[in-house]
Amino acid sequence: MIDQLRKIYSTLQVYKDSSDELGIDYKWFTTDNHEVIGIRNDELTSKDISLLTAFLSPYNVKFPNPTDVEGKWRKLIFSTEPIEGEKEWKPSNPFRFVYFSFNKDQVEPILFKDAIEALFDKQVSILWHNEHEGFIIEQQMVDEDSISYDQIIDILMSDLYVKINFFVGPYKKDVNDLSLHYKSLTNVANQVFQYTNKSVVTYVDAIPFILTKQTDEGLRLDISKTILHEYIYDEETIKMIETFFECNLNLSETAKVLHLHRNSLQYRLDRFVDKTGIDIRQFHNAMTVSLALLARK
Amino acid sequence: MAELKLVNVKKVYDNKVVSVEDFNLEIRDKEFLVLVGPSGCGKSTTLRMIAGLEEISSGDLYIGDKRVNDVPPKDRNIAMVFQNYALYPHMDVYNNMAFGLKLRKFKKDEIKKRVDNAAKILGLENLLNRKPKALSGGQRQRVALGRAIVRDAEVFLMDEPLSNLDAKLRVQMRAEIQKLHSRLQTTTIYVTHDQTEAMTMATRLVVMKDGIIQQVGAPKEVYDEPDNVFVGGFIGSPAMNFLNGKLIGNYFIMDDVKLLVPDGRLKILKERGYDGKDIILGIRPEDINDEQVFLDFSPETKVNASVEVAELMGAEIILYSQVNNQSFVARIDSRFNITAGDTIDLAFDLSKAHFFDKETELRIK
Repeated sequence: MIDQLRKIYSTLQVYKDSSDELGIDYKWFTTDNHEVIGIRNDELTSKDISLLTAFLSPYNVKFPNPTDVEGKWRKLIFSTEPIEGEKEWKPSNPFRFVYFSFNKDQVEPILFKDAIEALFDKQVSILWHNEHEGFIIEQQMVDEDSISYDQIIDILMSDLYVKINFFVGPYKKDVNDLSLHYKSLTNVANQVFQYTNKSVVTYVDAIPFILTKQTDEGLRLDISKTILHEYIYDEETIKMIETFFECNLNLSETAKVLHLHRNSLQYRLDRFVDKTGIDIRQFHNAMTVSLALLARK
Repeated sequence: MAELKLVNVKKVYDNKVVSVEDFNLEIRDKEFLVLVGPSGCGKSTTLRMIAGLEEISSGDLYIGDKRVNDVPPKDRNIAMVFQNYALYPHMDVYNNMAFGLKLRKFKKDEIKKRVDNAAKILGLENLLNRKPKALSGGQRQRVALGRAIVRDAEVFLMDEPLSNLDAKLRVQMRAEIQKLHSRLQTTTIYVTHDQTEAMTMATRLVVMKDGIIQQVGAPKEVYDEPDNVFVGGFIGSPAMNFLNGKLIGNYFIMDDVKLLVPDGRLKILKERGYDGKDIILGIRPEDINDEQVFLDFSPETKVNASVEVAELMGAEIILYSQVNNQSFVARIDSRFNITAGDTIDLAFDLSKAHFFDKETELRIK
C-alpha cells in the first residue's frame, strides 16, 4: 500500500526511528500495520486528507516521539519478514502487554507517557493505537517499589484527571507468535470492558468473558434463561448473586457488603435453590451460574 | 470556594444498568458533605460524575453558577483523593506532591511555594526527602492529601480515602481530615460506606441506596429522625431494631407482648389510619433499658427477654435477645453481670422509638 501511495504522493515518508522528528509540515497517518507515514502538507488538498482519513488513522504530532526500543517492538510485532542484514532484537526479560484506554481528549499522550514513566522510574515502551488507546510493554523486573494497576489508576486519576481502563496481559518469555498474541490481546481488550465495570482486568479474569463471547447469541440467551429461570430479570437477586461470587462464596462477607442479615441471605439462597434447583454455595454450580450471568449481559 | 448543584442527575451505563437516579442536591460553600451507603448504592458514581470521570446521562451539574457537564475534568478546579493512597514509589514526598503541578507546567518557584505550604499544613516538612516506602500508612495518606492541597482547588472530592487504613489509624486520620477542612474551608464531598466515619465527619449526610437518595440531613437529624427503615438500619451501630406488630387500641401488639404507645405517637398513628394495621416498630439499642427506675416507670413497655448473647464492651454490654421470635439488640450499662442464658426485664423507651409503614417502610410522621 505504501508503494502505491508513494506513486501518488512523492513526498511520502515512513517514520522510522526516534531520531526523526514528526515534522509539523507533514500530515501524519498510521497504517493498519501500525506504520507511521507522513505526506507533506503542500502536496495534500482537503479532499486528499478526507480520502486518506477514510482508510488511515490520523497520527497526532502531539504523540511522544517513538523511542528506539519502541521501534524494535513494532518490528517484532508488525513486520511480516525479517529485515535483511539486521540481527533480530529480542527483549532481555519476560514481558507483558498492558492495554490501556481513556476517554478521548482527556489527556495528551505525552503527559500520559511522562506519568507512566514516573511510576515505573524508567523508560517504558508504549505502542499507541490512537491518542487514547494503546499498549504499555512492561518488562518483568524485581522491584520492591512496584505498585498495582489499581493503584496506578488512582494516581493517574488524581494527577491527570482521567479515567483509565487497563487490561493486563500474561507475561511472555519469548517472542514466538508475537503478532498473533498482540492481535488476540487487542481483540480481547476491545471486548472485555463491555462485560465488566472493573477498571483493571487481567487475562485470567477475562477468560470467561472471552469464552462466553465466542458462543452464538441465541445459545447465550437460552443458557441464561434455562439456568436463571425467573431470576433472569430480577436485578436484586442478580446483584445478590454477583456479590456472593465477588465475596468468594463467603456468606458472612456477602451479608456484610449487602447490608443483609446472614440468615436473610441464607433464606434467599435457599429460595434460589427451590426455584432453580441450583445451589450456588457449591463451587461447580456457582461456576455455571456465573457463566449464565455473563451470557445474560 | 464553591457551591455545587446537581439537578435531576442520572447515570445509566451502556449495559442499561441505572447507577444513579434523579439525584437532586445543593452542596453549600465550605460544607463537608458525606455520601454514605452500602456497596453499589451509586455514591462513588455520583462523585465521579462531579469529577467528570463519568459522563452524566441526563440532568445538570453546576459548580458555582457554571454548568459543567461538558467541562473536562481538568478544567473543573477540583482535586481528588482516592482509596488507594498510592504514591509514585520512586519519588520522594516533595516530588510526589509536586508532580501533578509539573505535568501542568507550573513554574518551579510556584510549585515550591505550594508544596512547602501543603507540607506545613500537614506536618510533612521533615519528611519531604523520604520515599513512600519509608513512610507509615498515615504519613502516606497525608502525602496523598498534600497532592490534592497543592492544586488549590475549589472542591475536594474524596472517595473512601481511609478505607485502606487500619482501625486505629482511621480514627486518627478522621480527625486530621476534619482539622484540615476547618483550616482550609474548602467545599468537600466525601464518599464512604462506613456510617461511623459519615456520622463523625459530616456537616450533612446524604444516605443512598440503589442509586437513590434516601435522606439528606445533619448527622444527628438523620440518626434521630430516619425517614425510612433503610436509613434507620444503616445509620447507627449496633443497628436500629425493627419489630413487626400491629397497632390495636393504644398498644403495639406482638402476639402476647403488648407495648403501650405514648400519646403523641399514638395520635399520629391513629390520624394516619394505622389503628388495627400492621406496622414496624423501630427502636435503637440504647433506648432499651434495664435500670430499675425505668422498669418501675414503664410497666407497660416492659418485656421479659432471654439473653442469647451478651458482649461485654467495657463500659456497656450489647445484649442479643428475642421477643416473640423477633431478634433485638439492647445496649445497656455494664454494671450488672449479665450472661447468655439469663432472663431479664427490659423497658422499651417508646417515646424515642419510631413507627414505619409495613408496605412502604417509610416513617409514619
